[in-house]
Amino acid sequence: MALLSVQGIHTAYDRVNVLHDVSLDVEPGKITCILGSNGSGKTTLIRSILGLTPPNQGDIVFEGASLVRLPTHEIIARGIACIPEGRRIFPKMTVEENLRTGAYRLSDSAEITRRAMQVYELFPRLKERRTQLAGTMSGGEQAMVSMGRGLMGKPKMLIIDEPSLGLSPLYVKENFRIIREINGMGITVLLVEQNVRQTLVIAHHGYVLSQGRMAASGTTEELSADAEVQAAYFG
Amino acid sequence: MSLDIFSQYLINCLMLGMIYAMVAVGFTLFFGVLDVIQFAHGDVLMAGGFGALVAYAATQAVGIANSWVQLLLMVVSTTVMTAALGALVARFLVLPLRNAPPLNTLLITLMMGMVLREAVRLVYPNGSNPQPFPSLLPHDAWRVGGLDLRVDSLILLVVGLLLIAGLHLLITRSKLGLAIRAVAQDGETARVMGINFNRIVLLTFGLGSAMGALGGVMRGLYYTEITFDVGLLLGVIGFAAAILGGLGNLYGAILGGFLFAVLQAIGAVALPVLLPDFPSAYKDVFAFTVVIVLIGWKPTGLIAEKTSERV
Ligand SMILES: Nc1ncnc2c1ncn2[C@@H]1O[C@H](COP(=O)(O)OP(=O)(O)OP(=O)(O)O)[C@@H](O)[C@H]1O
Ligand SMILES: [Mg+2]
Repeated sequence: MALLSVQGIHTAYDRVNVLHDVSLDVEPGKITCILGSNGSGKTTLIRSILGLTPPNQGDIVFEGASLVRLPTHEIIARGIACIPEGRRIFPKMTVEENLRTGAYRLSDSAEITRRAMQVYELFPRLKERRTQLAGTMSGGEQAMVSMGRGLMGKPKMLIIDEPSLGLSPLYVKENFRIIREINGMGITVLLVEQNVRQTLVIAHHGYVLSQGRMAASGTTEELSADAEVQAAYFG
Repeated sequence: MSLDIFSQYLINCLMLGMIYAMVAVGFTLFFGVLDVIQFAHGDVLMAGGFGALVAYAATQAVGIANSWVQLLLMVVSTTVMTAALGALVARFLVLPLRNAPPLNTLLITLMMGMVLREAVRLVYPNGSNPQPFPSLLPHDAWRVGGLDLRVDSLILLVVGLLLIAGLHLLITRSKLGLAIRAVAQDGETARVMGINFNRIVLLTFGLGSAMGALGGVMRGLYYTEITFDVGLLLGVIGFAAAILGGLGNLYGAILGGFLFAVLQAIGAVALPVLLPDFPSAYKDVFAFTVVIVLIGWKPTGLIAEKTSERV
Protein backbone atom coordinates (compact mmCIF):
# COMPACT_ATOMS: atom_id res chain seq x y z
CA MET A 1 0.00 0.00 0.00
CA ALA A 2 1.19 3.51 -0.77
CA LEU A 3 2.50 5.53 2.17
CA LEU A 4 0.95 8.69 0.74
CA SER A 5 -1.89 8.74 -1.72
CA VAL A 6 -3.12 11.96 -3.30
CA GLN A 7 -6.52 11.29 -4.81
CA GLY A 8 -7.96 13.64 -7.41
CA ILE A 9 -7.28 16.93 -5.67
CA HIS A 10 -8.19 20.38 -6.93
CA THR A 11 -6.36 23.28 -5.31
CA ALA A 12 -6.81 27.02 -5.80
CA TYR A 13 -5.24 30.26 -4.59
CA ASP A 14 -8.01 32.80 -4.07
CA ARG A 15 -10.28 31.04 -6.55
CA VAL A 16 -7.61 30.78 -9.24
CA ASN A 17 -7.51 27.04 -9.88
CA VAL A 18 -3.98 25.72 -10.01
CA LEU A 19 -4.29 21.95 -9.59
CA HIS A 20 -6.90 20.00 -11.52
CA ASP A 21 -7.71 16.43 -10.55
CA VAL A 22 -4.18 15.55 -9.48
CA SER A 23 -3.43 12.06 -8.14
CA LEU A 24 -0.17 10.55 -6.99
CA ASP A 25 1.10 7.63 -4.92
CA VAL A 26 4.29 7.56 -2.88
CA GLU A 27 5.54 4.04 -2.18
CA PRO A 28 7.17 3.47 1.21
CA GLY A 29 10.96 3.37 1.21
CA LYS A 30 11.24 4.77 -2.30
CA ILE A 31 12.21 8.07 -3.88
CA THR A 32 9.30 9.49 -5.85
CA CYS A 33 9.93 12.56 -7.96
CA ILE A 34 7.64 15.24 -9.37
CA LEU A 35 8.80 16.84 -12.60
CA GLY A 36 7.28 19.75 -14.43
CA SER A 37 8.19 23.12 -15.85
CA ASN A 38 8.06 26.39 -13.90
CA GLY A 39 4.58 27.21 -12.69
CA SER A 40 3.18 23.76 -13.41
CA GLY A 41 1.99 23.37 -9.81
CA LYS A 42 4.65 21.26 -8.11
CA THR A 43 4.98 23.51 -5.07
CA THR A 44 1.21 23.89 -4.91
CA LEU A 45 0.89 20.10 -4.73
CA ILE A 46 3.32 20.05 -1.81
CA ARG A 47 1.48 22.91 -0.11
CA SER A 48 -1.72 20.92 -0.50
CA ILE A 49 -0.18 17.88 1.19
CA LEU A 50 1.13 20.04 4.05
CA GLY A 51 -2.21 21.76 4.57
CA LEU A 52 -0.77 25.20 3.77
CA THR A 53 -3.07 25.55 0.76
CA PRO A 54 -5.64 22.82 1.38
CA PRO A 55 -7.35 21.26 -1.63
CA ASN A 56 -11.02 22.06 -2.10
CA GLN A 57 -11.80 18.68 -3.64
CA GLY A 58 -10.30 15.21 -3.45
CA ASP A 59 -8.48 13.45 -0.65
CA ILE A 60 -4.95 13.07 0.64
CA VAL A 61 -4.30 9.90 2.61
CA PHE A 62 -1.18 9.19 4.67
CA GLU A 63 -0.80 5.73 6.26
CA GLY A 64 -4.48 5.13 5.68
CA ALA A 65 -5.74 8.32 7.34
CA SER A 66 -6.90 11.49 5.60
CA LEU A 67 -4.82 14.64 6.02
CA VAL A 68 -7.32 16.99 4.45
CA ARG A 69 -8.49 19.76 6.76
CA LEU A 70 -5.93 18.95 9.44
CA PRO A 71 -3.86 21.95 10.54
CA THR A 72 -0.27 21.82 9.29
CA HIS A 73 1.29 21.00 12.67
CA GLU A 74 -0.91 17.91 12.97
CA ILE A 75 0.05 16.77 9.48
CA ILE A 76 3.70 17.12 10.48
CA ALA A 77 2.95 15.14 13.63
CA ARG A 78 1.89 12.17 11.48
CA GLY A 79 5.52 11.78 10.43
CA ILE A 80 6.03 14.15 7.51
CA ALA A 81 8.81 16.72 7.21
CA CYS A 82 9.54 19.21 4.47
CA ILE A 83 12.55 20.98 3.08
CA PRO A 84 10.66 23.87 1.56
CA GLU A 85 11.27 25.66 -1.71
CA GLY A 86 13.78 28.44 -1.18
CA ARG A 87 15.14 26.66 1.94
CA ARG A 88 13.35 29.05 4.31
CA ILE A 89 15.87 28.79 7.13
CA PHE A 90 15.25 31.02 10.14
CA PRO A 91 17.79 33.76 9.42
CA LYS A 92 18.16 35.16 12.93
CA MET A 93 18.64 31.81 14.59
CA THR A 94 21.90 29.96 14.89
CA VAL A 95 22.46 26.76 12.95
CA GLU A 96 21.86 24.81 16.13
CA GLU A 97 18.59 26.60 16.87
CA ASN A 98 17.42 26.02 13.30
CA LEU A 99 18.02 22.32 13.79
CA ARG A 100 16.12 22.41 17.07
CA THR A 101 13.05 23.84 15.34
CA GLY A 102 13.12 20.74 13.14
CA ALA A 103 12.78 18.59 16.25
CA TYR A 104 10.16 20.87 17.78
CA ARG A 105 7.71 18.07 18.42
CA LEU A 106 10.27 16.18 20.50
CA SER A 107 10.85 17.00 24.17
CA ASP A 108 13.64 14.55 25.04
CA SER A 109 16.68 16.84 24.95
CA ALA A 110 19.19 13.96 24.92
CA GLU A 111 17.50 12.60 21.81
CA ILE A 112 17.53 16.05 20.19
CA THR A 113 21.26 16.31 20.82
CA ARG A 114 21.80 12.82 19.42
CA ARG A 115 19.94 13.70 16.23
CA ALA A 116 21.86 16.95 15.87
CA MET A 117 25.06 14.90 16.09
CA GLN A 118 23.81 12.69 13.26
CA VAL A 119 23.08 15.78 11.16
CA TYR A 120 26.56 17.12 11.90
CA GLU A 121 27.99 13.80 10.74
CA LEU A 122 26.15 14.21 7.47
CA PHE A 123 27.16 17.89 7.17
CA PRO A 124 30.46 18.43 9.01
CA ARG A 125 30.44 22.03 7.85
CA LEU A 126 27.38 22.73 9.99
CA LYS A 127 29.16 21.48 13.07
CA GLU A 128 31.90 24.07 12.59
CA ARG A 129 29.24 26.75 12.18
CA ARG A 130 26.94 25.63 14.98
CA THR A 131 26.70 29.05 16.60
CA GLN A 132 26.62 31.14 13.43
CA LEU A 133 23.42 32.95 12.49
CA ALA A 134 21.97 31.01 9.58
CA GLY A 135 21.06 34.19 7.70
CA THR A 136 24.73 35.07 7.37
CA MET A 137 25.69 31.80 5.66
CA SER A 138 26.19 31.06 1.98
CA GLY A 139 23.40 29.57 -0.14
CA GLY A 140 25.00 26.14 -0.10
CA GLU A 141 25.37 26.20 3.67
CA GLN A 142 21.79 27.37 4.11
CA ALA A 143 20.70 24.42 1.97
CA MET A 144 22.53 22.14 4.43
CA VAL A 145 20.76 23.82 7.35
CA SER A 146 17.40 23.32 5.66
CA MET A 147 18.17 19.66 4.92
CA GLY A 148 19.47 19.03 8.41
CA ARG A 149 16.44 20.71 9.93
CA GLY A 150 14.15 18.47 7.85
CA LEU A 151 15.93 15.39 9.15
CA MET A 152 15.75 16.39 12.82
CA GLY A 153 12.13 15.24 13.04
CA LYS A 154 13.03 11.69 11.91
CA PRO A 155 10.12 11.74 9.45
CA LYS A 156 8.63 8.71 7.76
CA MET A 157 8.32 10.80 4.64
CA LEU A 158 10.53 13.73 3.68
CA ILE A 159 9.28 16.17 1.05
CA ILE A 160 12.04 18.09 -0.72
CA ASP A 161 11.20 21.02 -3.01
CA GLU A 162 13.98 22.07 -5.41
CA PRO A 163 16.90 21.65 -3.01
CA SER A 164 19.55 22.57 -5.56
CA LEU A 165 17.94 25.72 -6.91
CA GLY A 166 20.61 28.37 -7.26
CA LEU A 167 23.45 26.18 -6.06
CA SER A 168 26.78 25.57 -7.75
CA PRO A 169 27.18 22.23 -9.62
CA LEU A 170 29.37 20.92 -6.82
CA TYR A 171 26.63 21.44 -4.23
CA VAL A 172 24.03 20.03 -6.61
CA LYS A 173 25.99 16.81 -6.93
CA GLU A 174 26.46 16.68 -3.16
CA ASN A 175 22.73 17.21 -2.69
CA PHE A 176 21.86 14.19 -4.79
CA ARG A 177 24.32 12.07 -2.85
CA ILE A 178 22.74 13.20 0.42
CA ILE A 179 19.21 12.54 -0.79
CA ARG A 180 20.24 9.02 -1.68
CA GLU A 181 21.83 8.62 1.72
CA ILE A 182 18.67 9.89 3.43
CA ASN A 183 16.62 7.37 1.47
CA GLY A 184 19.16 4.71 2.46
CA MET A 185 18.29 5.41 6.11
CA GLY A 186 14.80 4.16 5.32
CA ILE A 187 13.15 7.55 4.87
CA THR A 188 10.64 7.75 2.02
CA VAL A 189 11.37 10.76 -0.20
CA LEU A 190 9.07 12.89 -2.32
CA LEU A 191 11.36 15.01 -4.44
CA VAL A 192 10.78 18.02 -6.67
CA GLU A 193 13.84 18.77 -8.78
CA GLN A 194 14.87 20.74 -11.81
CA ASN A 195 17.86 18.61 -12.72
CA VAL A 196 15.78 16.04 -14.53
CA ARG A 197 18.57 13.74 -15.64
CA GLN A 198 20.10 13.31 -12.20
CA THR A 199 16.69 13.08 -10.60
CA LEU A 200 15.63 10.26 -12.88
CA VAL A 201 18.83 8.44 -11.94
CA ILE A 202 18.22 8.43 -8.19
CA ALA A 203 14.39 8.25 -8.10
CA HIS A 204 12.29 5.10 -8.42
CA HIS A 205 8.97 6.56 -9.54
CA GLY A 206 8.12 9.80 -11.21
CA TYR A 207 5.19 12.03 -12.05
CA VAL A 208 5.09 14.83 -14.58
CA LEU A 209 2.88 17.84 -13.92
CA SER A 210 1.89 20.11 -16.76
CA GLN A 211 -0.27 23.18 -16.23
CA GLY A 212 -1.73 21.78 -13.05
CA ARG A 213 -2.60 18.36 -14.47
CA MET A 214 -0.81 15.06 -14.17
CA ALA A 215 0.62 14.53 -17.68
CA ALA A 216 2.62 11.33 -17.21
CA SER A 217 3.74 8.90 -14.55
CA GLY A 218 5.65 5.69 -14.20
CA THR A 219 8.93 4.21 -13.09
CA THR A 220 11.87 6.42 -13.84
CA GLU A 221 13.00 3.96 -16.54
CA GLU A 222 9.65 4.34 -18.23
CA LEU A 223 9.74 8.12 -17.94
CA SER A 224 13.26 8.31 -19.33
CA ALA A 225 12.07 6.41 -22.37
CA ASP A 226 8.78 8.30 -22.72
CA ALA A 227 8.83 10.33 -25.91
CA GLU A 228 6.83 13.24 -24.50
CA VAL A 229 9.00 13.57 -21.43
CA GLN A 230 12.01 13.30 -23.65
CA ALA A 231 10.70 16.11 -25.81
CA ALA A 232 9.82 18.29 -22.83
CA TYR A 233 13.04 17.90 -20.91
CA PHE A 234 15.82 16.57 -23.02
CA GLY A 235 14.97 18.12 -26.35
CA MET B 1 20.83 70.80 41.40
CA SER B 2 21.62 68.98 44.60
CA LEU B 3 22.76 65.39 44.49
CA ASP B 4 19.65 64.37 46.36
CA ILE B 5 17.29 65.80 43.80
CA PHE B 6 19.41 64.43 41.01
CA SER B 7 19.24 60.92 42.45
CA GLN B 8 15.50 61.27 42.76
CA TYR B 9 15.20 62.22 39.11
CA LEU B 10 17.46 59.34 38.21
CA ILE B 11 15.38 56.78 40.09
CA ASN B 12 12.18 58.24 38.73
CA CYS B 13 13.58 58.10 35.22
CA LEU B 14 14.72 54.49 35.61
CA MET B 15 11.35 53.53 37.03
CA LEU B 16 9.40 55.11 34.20
CA GLY B 17 11.81 53.65 31.65
CA MET B 18 11.25 50.21 33.08
CA ILE B 19 7.48 50.60 33.00
CA TYR B 20 7.54 51.90 29.41
CA ALA B 21 9.88 49.09 28.39
CA MET B 22 7.50 46.53 29.86
CA VAL B 23 4.63 48.00 27.87
CA ALA B 24 6.68 48.37 24.67
CA VAL B 25 7.79 44.74 24.83
CA GLY B 26 4.17 43.70 24.30
CA PHE B 27 3.74 45.83 21.18
CA THR B 28 6.94 44.47 19.75
CA LEU B 29 6.08 40.83 20.52
CA PHE B 30 2.62 41.17 18.96
CA PHE B 31 4.04 42.82 15.89
CA GLY B 32 6.76 40.20 15.75
CA VAL B 33 4.46 37.19 15.57
CA LEU B 34 1.55 38.62 13.59
CA ASP B 35 2.67 41.91 12.04
CA VAL B 36 -0.18 43.66 13.79
CA ILE B 37 -0.53 46.60 16.10
CA GLN B 38 -2.69 45.76 19.08
CA PHE B 39 -3.92 49.16 20.17
CA ALA B 40 -5.94 47.86 23.09
CA HIS B 41 -2.67 46.90 24.80
CA GLY B 42 -2.58 50.00 27.01
CA ASP B 43 -6.16 49.42 28.12
CA VAL B 44 -5.54 45.74 28.78
CA LEU B 45 -2.90 46.98 31.24
CA MET B 46 -5.32 49.41 32.80
CA ALA B 47 -7.83 46.58 33.20
CA GLY B 48 -5.04 44.57 34.83
CA GLY B 49 -4.39 47.41 37.25
CA PHE B 50 -8.05 47.57 38.23
CA GLY B 51 -8.11 43.79 38.45
CA ALA B 52 -5.30 44.09 40.99
CA LEU B 53 -7.39 46.60 42.95
CA VAL B 54 -10.31 44.17 43.01
CA ALA B 55 -7.96 41.42 44.18
CA TYR B 56 -6.72 43.75 46.91
CA ALA B 57 -10.25 44.47 48.04
CA ALA B 58 -10.92 40.72 48.05
CA THR B 59 -7.90 40.05 50.28
CA GLN B 60 -9.17 42.70 52.70
CA ALA B 61 -12.65 41.22 52.63
CA VAL B 62 -11.36 37.79 53.64
CA GLY B 63 -9.14 39.33 56.29
CA ILE B 64 -5.67 38.88 54.85
CA ALA B 65 -3.59 41.66 56.36
CA ASN B 66 -0.02 40.71 55.47
CA SER B 67 0.94 43.15 52.73
CA TRP B 68 3.33 40.69 51.03
CA VAL B 69 0.58 38.12 50.73
CA GLN B 70 -1.79 40.79 49.44
CA LEU B 71 0.77 41.89 46.89
CA LEU B 72 1.43 38.34 45.78
CA LEU B 73 -2.27 37.67 45.27
CA MET B 74 -2.68 40.93 43.36
CA VAL B 75 0.24 40.15 41.08
CA VAL B 76 -0.86 36.59 40.43
CA SER B 77 -4.45 37.52 39.70
CA THR B 78 -3.58 40.44 37.45
CA THR B 79 -1.05 38.34 35.55
CA VAL B 80 -3.57 35.58 34.94
CA MET B 81 -6.34 38.02 34.10
CA THR B 82 -4.41 40.15 31.61
CA ALA B 83 -2.77 37.13 30.00
CA ALA B 84 -6.24 35.70 29.43
CA LEU B 85 -7.54 39.06 28.19
CA GLY B 86 -4.63 39.45 25.78
CA ALA B 87 -5.09 35.92 24.48
CA LEU B 88 -8.84 36.53 24.05
CA VAL B 89 -8.16 39.70 22.06
CA ALA B 90 -5.80 37.69 19.86
CA ARG B 91 -8.25 34.81 19.48
CA PHE B 92 -11.39 36.78 18.72
CA LEU B 93 -10.21 40.10 17.28
CA VAL B 94 -6.75 39.69 15.78
CA LEU B 95 -6.50 36.14 14.40
CA PRO B 96 -9.84 36.25 12.55
CA LEU B 97 -8.64 39.38 10.76
CA ARG B 98 -5.34 37.89 9.68
CA ASN B 99 -6.16 38.12 6.01
CA ALA B 100 -7.80 41.52 6.25
CA PRO B 101 -5.89 44.77 5.75
CA PRO B 102 -3.74 45.59 8.84
CA LEU B 103 -5.63 48.86 9.30
CA ASN B 104 -8.73 46.85 10.21
CA THR B 105 -6.88 45.20 13.08
CA LEU B 106 -5.63 48.55 14.25
CA LEU B 107 -9.13 50.00 14.18
CA ILE B 108 -10.85 47.07 15.86
CA THR B 109 -8.30 46.93 18.69
CA LEU B 110 -8.53 50.69 19.10
CA MET B 111 -12.28 50.32 19.59
CA MET B 112 -11.75 47.37 21.92
CA GLY B 113 -9.50 49.61 24.03
CA MET B 114 -12.24 52.21 24.23
CA VAL B 115 -14.77 49.58 25.28
CA LEU B 116 -12.45 48.38 28.08
CA ARG B 117 -11.81 51.95 29.22
CA GLU B 118 -15.44 52.98 29.31
CA ALA B 119 -16.50 49.69 30.87
CA VAL B 120 -14.10 50.20 33.77
CA ARG B 121 -15.22 53.78 34.16
CA LEU B 122 -18.87 52.72 34.30
CA VAL B 123 -18.58 49.53 36.32
CA TYR B 124 -15.91 50.38 38.88
CA PRO B 125 -17.36 52.34 41.80
CA ASN B 126 -16.62 56.03 41.21
CA GLY B 127 -14.58 54.91 38.21
CA SER B 128 -14.29 58.35 36.62
CA ASN B 129 -12.02 59.55 39.38
CA PRO B 130 -8.50 58.46 40.23
CA GLN B 131 -8.49 55.43 42.49
CA PRO B 132 -5.99 55.08 45.30
CA PHE B 133 -3.62 52.20 44.67
CA PRO B 134 -2.52 50.51 47.93
CA SER B 135 1.09 51.22 48.76
CA LEU B 136 2.15 47.84 49.99
CA LEU B 137 5.92 48.02 49.82
CA PRO B 138 8.02 49.04 52.83
CA HIS B 139 8.49 52.79 53.09
CA ASP B 140 11.90 52.79 54.76
CA ALA B 141 14.69 54.77 53.23
CA TRP B 142 18.36 53.92 53.35
CA ARG B 143 20.90 56.67 53.63
CA VAL B 144 23.75 55.82 51.31
CA GLY B 145 26.54 58.36 50.84
CA GLY B 146 24.30 61.32 51.53
CA LEU B 147 21.43 60.02 49.40
CA ASP B 148 18.04 58.80 50.50
CA LEU B 149 17.24 55.60 48.71
CA ARG B 150 13.67 54.47 49.12
CA VAL B 151 13.35 50.75 49.60
CA ASP B 152 10.09 50.54 47.64
CA SER B 153 11.67 52.16 44.60
CA LEU B 154 14.64 49.83 44.81
CA ILE B 155 12.41 46.77 45.05
CA LEU B 156 10.41 47.89 42.04
CA LEU B 157 13.54 48.54 40.02
CA VAL B 158 15.11 45.20 40.88
CA VAL B 159 11.89 43.29 40.19
CA GLY B 160 11.46 45.11 36.87
CA LEU B 161 15.01 44.26 35.82
CA LEU B 162 14.49 40.63 36.83
CA LEU B 163 11.28 40.47 34.79
CA ILE B 164 12.99 41.90 31.72
CA ALA B 165 15.94 39.52 32.18
CA GLY B 166 13.49 36.65 32.64
CA LEU B 167 11.71 37.55 29.42
CA HIS B 168 15.06 37.66 27.64
CA LEU B 169 15.90 34.16 28.93
CA LEU B 170 12.47 32.86 28.00
CA ILE B 171 12.79 34.15 24.44
CA THR B 172 16.39 33.06 23.89
CA ARG B 173 16.64 29.83 25.91
CA SER B 174 13.28 28.14 26.22
CA LYS B 175 11.38 26.01 23.77
CA LEU B 176 8.48 28.45 23.85
CA GLY B 177 10.94 31.23 22.98
CA LEU B 178 12.27 29.18 20.08
CA ALA B 179 8.73 28.77 18.77
CA ILE B 180 7.95 32.47 19.22
CA ARG B 181 11.07 33.41 17.30
CA ALA B 182 10.31 30.87 14.58
CA VAL B 183 6.77 32.22 14.17
CA ALA B 184 8.10 35.78 14.12
CA GLN B 185 10.76 35.09 11.52
CA ASP B 186 8.67 32.92 9.19
CA GLY B 187 5.22 31.86 10.36
CA GLU B 188 4.58 29.47 7.50
CA THR B 189 7.86 27.62 7.91
CA ALA B 190 7.25 27.50 11.66
CA ARG B 191 4.04 25.59 10.90
CA VAL B 192 5.94 23.26 8.61
CA MET B 193 8.26 22.52 11.54
CA GLY B 194 5.24 21.25 13.46
CA ILE B 195 4.71 24.37 15.55
CA ASN B 196 1.08 25.07 16.41
CA PHE B 197 0.91 28.58 15.03
CA ASN B 198 -2.32 29.71 16.67
CA ARG B 199 -1.28 28.40 20.04
CA ILE B 200 2.03 30.27 19.92
CA VAL B 201 0.24 33.46 18.87
CA LEU B 202 -2.15 33.17 21.84
CA LEU B 203 0.71 32.45 24.24
CA THR B 204 2.66 35.41 22.88
CA PHE B 205 -0.30 37.75 23.32
CA GLY B 206 -0.80 36.38 26.82
CA LEU B 207 2.86 36.82 27.65
CA GLY B 208 3.08 40.36 26.26
CA SER B 209 -0.11 41.42 28.02
CA ALA B 210 0.95 39.97 31.37
CA MET B 211 4.33 41.65 31.08
CA GLY B 212 2.65 44.99 30.44
CA ALA B 213 0.18 44.44 33.29
CA LEU B 214 3.06 43.89 35.69
CA GLY B 215 4.41 47.19 34.43
CA GLY B 216 0.99 48.69 35.19
CA VAL B 217 1.00 47.28 38.74
CA MET B 218 4.49 48.67 39.25
CA ARG B 219 3.24 52.04 38.10
CA GLY B 220 0.30 51.82 40.53
CA LEU B 221 2.58 50.93 43.43
CA TYR B 222 4.94 53.74 42.51
CA TYR B 223 2.35 56.51 42.12
CA THR B 224 -0.19 54.92 44.53
CA GLU B 225 -2.93 55.92 42.14
CA ILE B 226 -4.60 54.59 39.01
CA THR B 227 -7.09 56.13 36.60
CA PHE B 228 -9.38 54.49 34.06
CA ASP B 229 -7.59 56.24 31.20
CA VAL B 230 -4.03 55.45 32.29
CA GLY B 231 -3.77 53.02 29.39
CA LEU B 232 -4.20 55.76 26.84
CA LEU B 233 -0.95 57.61 27.49
CA LEU B 234 0.88 54.45 28.58
CA GLY B 235 -0.19 52.76 25.35
CA VAL B 236 0.95 55.62 23.16
CA ILE B 237 4.26 55.89 24.99
CA GLY B 238 4.84 52.14 24.88
CA PHE B 239 4.00 52.12 21.19
CA ALA B 240 6.32 55.06 20.54
CA ALA B 241 9.08 53.28 22.46
CA ALA B 242 8.58 50.11 20.43
CA ILE B 243 8.69 52.04 17.14
CA LEU B 244 11.72 53.97 18.34
CA GLY B 245 13.62 50.76 18.98
CA GLY B 246 12.45 49.16 15.74
CA LEU B 247 9.07 47.42 15.95
CA GLY B 248 9.56 43.69 16.30
CA ASN B 249 12.91 44.03 18.03
CA LEU B 250 12.75 43.07 21.70
CA TYR B 251 15.88 44.90 22.82
CA GLY B 252 14.93 47.90 20.73
CA ALA B 253 11.66 48.14 22.65
CA ILE B 254 13.46 48.01 25.99
CA LEU B 255 15.95 50.62 24.83
CA GLY B 256 13.11 52.75 23.44
CA GLY B 257 11.29 52.63 26.79
CA PHE B 258 14.28 53.88 28.73
CA LEU B 259 15.08 56.44 26.05
CA PHE B 260 11.59 57.90 26.28
CA ALA B 261 11.90 58.21 30.04
CA VAL B 262 15.24 59.97 29.64
CA LEU B 263 13.69 62.39 27.17
CA GLN B 264 10.88 63.12 29.61
CA ALA B 265 13.41 63.72 32.37
CA ILE B 266 15.40 66.07 30.16
CA GLY B 267 12.18 67.85 29.27
CA ALA B 268 11.26 68.19 32.93
CA VAL B 269 14.66 69.20 34.30
CA ALA B 270 16.86 70.71 31.68
CA LEU B 271 14.42 72.70 29.60
CA PRO B 272 13.03 74.95 32.34
CA VAL B 273 16.64 75.85 33.15
CA LEU B 274 17.49 76.67 29.55
CA LEU B 275 14.16 78.26 28.65
CA PRO B 276 12.80 79.90 31.80
CA ASP B 277 9.21 80.02 30.54
CA PHE B 278 9.08 76.34 29.69
CA PRO B 279 6.79 74.66 32.23
CA SER B 280 7.86 71.14 33.19
CA ALA B 281 4.39 69.88 32.29
CA TYR B 282 5.59 70.15 28.69
CA LYS B 283 7.99 67.28 29.23
CA ASP B 284 5.77 64.92 27.23
CA VAL B 285 5.51 67.42 24.38
CA PHE B 286 9.28 67.64 24.37
CA ALA B 287 9.75 63.86 24.50
CA PHE B 288 7.25 63.19 21.72
CA THR B 289 8.79 65.93 19.57
CA VAL B 290 12.20 64.33 19.89
CA VAL B 291 10.67 60.93 19.10
CA ILE B 292 9.13 62.37 15.93
CA VAL B 293 12.52 63.77 14.91
CA LEU B 294 14.27 60.48 15.71
CA ILE B 295 11.75 58.47 13.74
CA GLY B 296 12.09 60.89 10.84
CA TRP B 297 15.81 60.31 11.01
CA LYS B 298 15.64 56.51 11.43
CA PRO B 299 12.25 55.44 10.06
CA THR B 300 12.78 51.74 10.86
CA GLY B 301 13.88 52.38 14.43
CA LEU B 302 17.19 52.94 16.12
CA ILE B 303 18.12 49.28 15.95
CA ALA B 304 17.62 49.02 12.22
CA GLU B 305 16.83 45.67 10.72
CA LYS B 306 15.76 44.32 7.42
CA THR B 307 12.01 43.88 7.50
CA SER B 308 12.30 40.13 7.14
CA GLU B 309 14.31 39.75 10.31
CA ARG B 310 12.63 40.00 13.65
CA VAL B 311 12.63 39.04 17.32
N1 LIG C 1 0.60 32.31 -3.47
C1 LIG C 1 0.07 32.23 -4.71
N2 LIG C 1 -1.02 32.97 -5.03
C2 LIG C 1 -1.54 32.91 -6.28
N3 LIG C 1 -1.06 32.13 -7.24
C3 LIG C 1 0.02 31.38 -6.99
C4 LIG C 1 0.65 31.40 -5.71
N4 LIG C 1 1.70 30.56 -5.73
C5 LIG C 1 1.72 30.04 -6.98
N5 LIG C 1 0.71 30.52 -7.73
C6 LIG C 1 0.43 30.16 -9.12
O1 LIG C 1 0.18 28.79 -9.16
C7 LIG C 1 0.78 28.20 -10.29
C8 LIG C 1 1.66 27.04 -9.88
O2 LIG C 1 2.71 27.54 -9.07
P1 LIG C 1 3.72 26.59 -8.30
O3 LIG C 1 4.55 27.44 -7.45
O4 LIG C 1 2.95 25.50 -7.67
O5 LIG C 1 4.57 26.00 -9.51
P2 LIG C 1 5.92 25.16 -9.47
O6 LIG C 1 5.70 24.00 -10.34
O7 LIG C 1 6.35 24.89 -8.08
O8 LIG C 1 6.92 26.16 -10.18
P3 LIG C 1 8.50 26.36 -9.92
O9 LIG C 1 9.19 25.31 -10.71
O10 LIG C 1 8.75 27.73 -10.47
O11 LIG C 1 8.76 26.28 -8.46
C9 LIG C 1 1.54 29.31 -11.00
O12 LIG C 1 0.75 29.75 -12.09
C10 LIG C 1 1.64 30.39 -9.99
O13 LIG C 1 1.60 31.65 -10.60
MG1 LIG D 1 7.95 25.39 -6.97
